[in-house]
Amino acid sequence: MEIRGVFIEDTFAEAFGMRGTRLVITARNERWAREAAVKLTGFATSVIACKCEAAIEREIPPGETPDGRPGIAVLFFTMDSDSLGKRLMERIGQTVLTCPTTACFDGLPDLQDRLVAGKAIRVFGDRFQISKVVGGQRYWRIPVMEGEFLLSETFGMQKKGIGGGNFLILGESADAALAAAEAAVAAIDGTPNVILPFPGGIVRSGSKVGASYKGMIASTNDSYCPTLRPITRSALPDGVNSVLEIVLDGLDFASISQAMRAGITAACRPGIRAISAGNYGGKLGPHHFHLRKIMEGA
Amino acid sequence: MSEWITLTARTIDAPLLVPGLDPVRFVELSEHDIAALPVSAGRQPATLGDFFTVQGGRSARVRVEWSTDRIDGLGAGMTGGELEIDGDAGSLVGAGMRGGTLRVRGSVGDEAGAAMAGGLLRIDGDAGERVGANTAGAAKGMTGGEILVLGSAGAEAGARLRRGLIVVGADAGRDAGRAMIAGSLFVLGSCGEGAGRGSKRGSIVACGGVTVPPTYRYACTYQPPHVRMTLLYLVRRHGLTIDDALVESAFRRYCGDAGDPGKGEILERVHSV
Repeated sequence: MEIRGVFIEDTFAEAFGMRGTRLVITARNERWAREAAVKLTGFATSVIACKCEAAIEREIPPGETPDGRPGIAVLFFTMDSDSLGKRLMERIGQTVLTCPTTACFDGLPDLQDRLVAGKAIRVFGDRFQISKVVGGQRYWRIPVMEGEFLLSETFGMQKKGIGGGNFLILGESADAALAAAEAAVAAIDGTPNVILPFPGGIVRSGSKVGASYKGMIASTNDSYCPTLRPITRSALPDGVNSVLEIVLDGLDFASISQAMRAGITAACRPGIRAISAGNYGGKLGPHHFHLRKIMEGA
Repeated sequence: MSEWITLTARTIDAPLLVPGLDPVRFVELSEHDIAALPVSAGRQPATLGDFFTVQGGRSARVRVEWSTDRIDGLGAGMTGGELEIDGDAGSLVGAGMRGGTLRVRGSVGDEAGAAMAGGLLRIDGDAGERVGANTAGAAKGMTGGEILVLGSAGAEAGARLRRGLIVVGADAGRDAGRAMIAGSLFVLGSCGEGAGRGSKRGSIVACGGVTVPPTYRYACTYQPPHVRMTLLYLVRRHGLTIDDALVESAFRRYCGDAGDPGKGEILERVHSV
């Protein structure tokens, strides 16, 4: 399969199950909502060392937020329910609670599985906190020096989240690969239910499972490192001199597939030889995104 | 199964108590069974069919037509389903209701939604005294659910409110939110004398003027985030007409009432910002 002259390899991206949630952060204006969201999702690229994966999902217009103010939706993922609750508690408490004018709302109110992060954070109010139930949802008003911080008591948890959806952009040069990756990120940006947790949505240091060093769970994906072509089992076609990866986490399989399709379509441009994917031979996870199947009809 | 069960009131000369009109119960009742349900006309036992023409059966959606303020207890204790009342209703409408939706397309008497524990009670007209309050001698008033009164409310709206939301679209009479324990009372018009007296916790949001009791202490002027959220919720979920200026308003916060724990609040609207 080729798209605009770019070869789509017959492979699949191998992803794994995660627990996910969505937060909607609002503030007096978009600037402060974004300030909080950026801090909240800082150092959250990979569960390998960050304990969670998180990023901004999209902007939410005032007409769609619970308090009618500009909002930013953020998606959070971890490997299990307990750690998701803990990470939320830590990060909301340190980054959203502390940020001027913000409020923090549950972005998945219809899900039955709940994380009680807000209930834990309420104790910062030192017994001066006040609960309010509006529309069947409980909120906490926590007195702070600025005024009040309002947050949902619980947050819906998607148990069928998926982490590690991905595709690799095999470029003739570093410039071409980066331009294609940027185009892919722009095309994916704003897709509901999906985030790209790495810097700018792009990974330059894709990893393989395991390492030659004892105890390391991941190490450089040498098969796709151009500098190692002659000394390792290289997977790179001739003419490829730089590879970048787009990693996607999402609340469901269909959303990731849709985002991958948009991203791959945008990445197929001059200077790109092929699109591949991180396939770890079944060692990583049960969710397989077959590139050619996703791109059928594109 | 019929979509709506219709109870059309005939001429009702004396007060009539209609207890147990719970739409959920009607799912298993035929038209004949419904007509045979007991009601109280003064001291005389009677049946629903003596005062209403019943049409339909086996549905959780019930409409009462030609209702008047002489009919008491409509929807009291209802647990689910939908009940619509076309016209006015007497006292105890939706009292003790635990679920479902009750809408009155008219005004109601006293103690509407008294001791309510869940569900939605919407009154398009005015409400009498003690809407959402406690029943006589009870320690707690409403403990859950929502009451929307689009018109005005009489004295002691939300007295001893423990949990839930009461909204009065116009003015509230004296002693609104008296001895509140928690919950929220929004008054979009003005509040009469004595609002919040004796409250322990809970919020009175006074959007159109209030005389704050001297036993409350001023805290600050700010924009309470939960107020704008609740006002928008009322617009979006219930279709209430609320000025943007009100949503953007600042409020004076007063803490009270004096005594322990004194964690109640009156939020008095001051101006747009």
